[in-house]
Amino acid sequence: MSENTVISVNGLTVKYKDFIAVNNISFEVKKGEIFGVIGPNGAGKTSTIECLEGLRKQSAGEIDVLGINPADRRKLYEHIGVQLQEASFPSDIKVDELCRMYTSFYKNPADYHALLEQFELTDKKKAYVKKLSGGQKQKVSIVAALIANPQILFLDELTTGLDPQARISMWELIKSLRNAGKTIFMTTHFMDEAEYLCDRVCMMVKGEIAAIGTVKELVAGADLSQKISFSSKHTDKEALQAINGVTQIMQNDDIFELYGNGINFQRDVVSYLMEHTIEFNDLSSTKPGLEDVFLKLTGYRLEETA
Amino acid sequence: MKTLFHISLIEFKLAFRNFIYIFFAFVFPPMMLLMFGSMYGNEPSSFYNGHGAVDVLTPAYIGMLMAVSGLMGLPLQLSEYRQNKVLKRFKATPVSTGAIMAPHFLVNSLLCILGTLLLVIVGKIVFNLHFLGSLPNFLLAFLLSVACIFSIGFLIAAIAPNNRAANAIAYLVYFPMLFLSGATVPLQIMPGAIVTISKFLPLTYCVEILQGTWLGKPLSDYVTAIVILSFVSIACIGVSIKAFRWE
Repeated sequence: MSENTVISVNGLTVKYKDFIAVNNISFEVKKGEIFGVIGPNGAGKTSTIECLEGLRKQSAGEIDVLGINPADRRKLYEHIGVQLQEASFPSDIKVDELCRMYTSFYKNPADYHALLEQFELTDKKKAYVKKLSGGQKQKVSIVAALIANPQILFLDELTTGLDPQARISMWELIKSLRNAGKTIFMTTHFMDEAEYLCDRVCMMVKGEIAAIGTVKELVAGADLSQKISFSSKHTDKEALQAINGVTQIMQNDDIFELYGNGINFQRDVVSYLMEHTIEFNDLSSTKPGLEDVFLKLTGYRLEETA
Repeated sequence: MKTLFHISLIEFKLAFRNFIYIFFAFVFPPMMLLMFGSMYGNEPSSFYNGHGAVDVLTPAYIGMLMAVSGLMGLPLQLSEYRQNKVLKRFKATPVSTGAIMAPHFLVNSLLCILGTLLLVIVGKIVFNLHFLGSLPNFLLAFLLSVACIFSIGFLIAAIAPNNRAANAIAYLVYFPMLFLSGATVPLQIMPGAIVTISKFLPLTYCVEILQGTWLGKPLSDYVTAIVILSFVSIACIGVSIKAFRWE
């Protein structure tokens, strides 16, 4: 394990009776990155994260989290913070009571007052947790996880069930935690979330890793076409064939759709049109994203299954 | 220890936010005592072998308190915690299993003790309640009874697949024990069939030994009760620890 690696997983397998939830996966997480596991429900995301958190025993494989075997749970939990998929608080507890309780669990707890301040929950100290909004509850669960003063924060489906605004404010919070030096290991089934937030993404399908890398790497690796569309009355398909990198051209009346590869595809198209003084309007380009990578790798869209 | 104290303190507060629990622990028993005390008084009566009704009913109501905290409070809290993943979340901290579980026993025992004190104070002020036994003997009976009833509660929490089932089982165990064990209605006025049933209910032996030691009888009169209560405690705790699931 190199110095920069904080989590290393080798041949992790999780079986439930006859069902294989996670099938022999291996990966590493580097210090200070946001590492996201993305995939549809039942892909094995939660089984994986719970093994790393020491909450589930793997059927086979080795896991190393900060040099600790997660089976040694009391040692592990001095260094990691955990947010579970479901809310997990006593039903009649108040925010500050919960924080005090979690503070008493750790040898070197973080100051929860400062955390509540950071998460804009100071005025909710005396509120019952169950009366908070979905977004606020999730913030409380992150605060509880951060009281551990963790090096790694584990977040399982943090933004599921939140409204769009709460999701976006959660994204900014997670980024700020990463910028403050925490490593974040998260699962999600939102492509836009992984694309915006994650430094590296591990795409899981049916218990296996379909792809792993930065969003850029995944998109480049999937060799997907960029689409550029514009309208023009002064050209035809044949004339456009000569553009660098064009693989396919679709024409519908005066609307052209060009598909192609290469980092400079967009520039090549525009400069060709300028050089040949072809007038055009409404030029737009669509870059392929994680969603397209997923579609290409699996043959279906994630949103349909989520 | 610091952790245990903090969890217990907060669990204690949480218990006080549960209205039904507080009603059955602190309002219902004194209410029963006031009601039956004012009906029968506390003068020596031949029905109660020369004891006053209040002196006999008070230790029985202490058994009723134990049933509330041990058979309802304890298992329902634990099963709710499991269902809501509170236990799972606690497991994801460096806290020991003991520090997670012990507060539930401590807090419910403490509520039981406070309920007992309240009952005794009401009995003393209103009916001039007498304690005729030896305190060490009574405390031993108290401890043994708590151990037995709480171990049954722990077993309910351990075997119930979910919160709903825990509720159903707790009620099914609690109410028969409450009414057929002498904890609320003296067995002396019950028909023979019910007295026979009562022999199968652990709470009957709690009430028996609590009443006996309260009224000054020697522990040696209650060997059967002591053996049964000890056996039930050990058996239930053993099975519970085997069967307990965190989620």
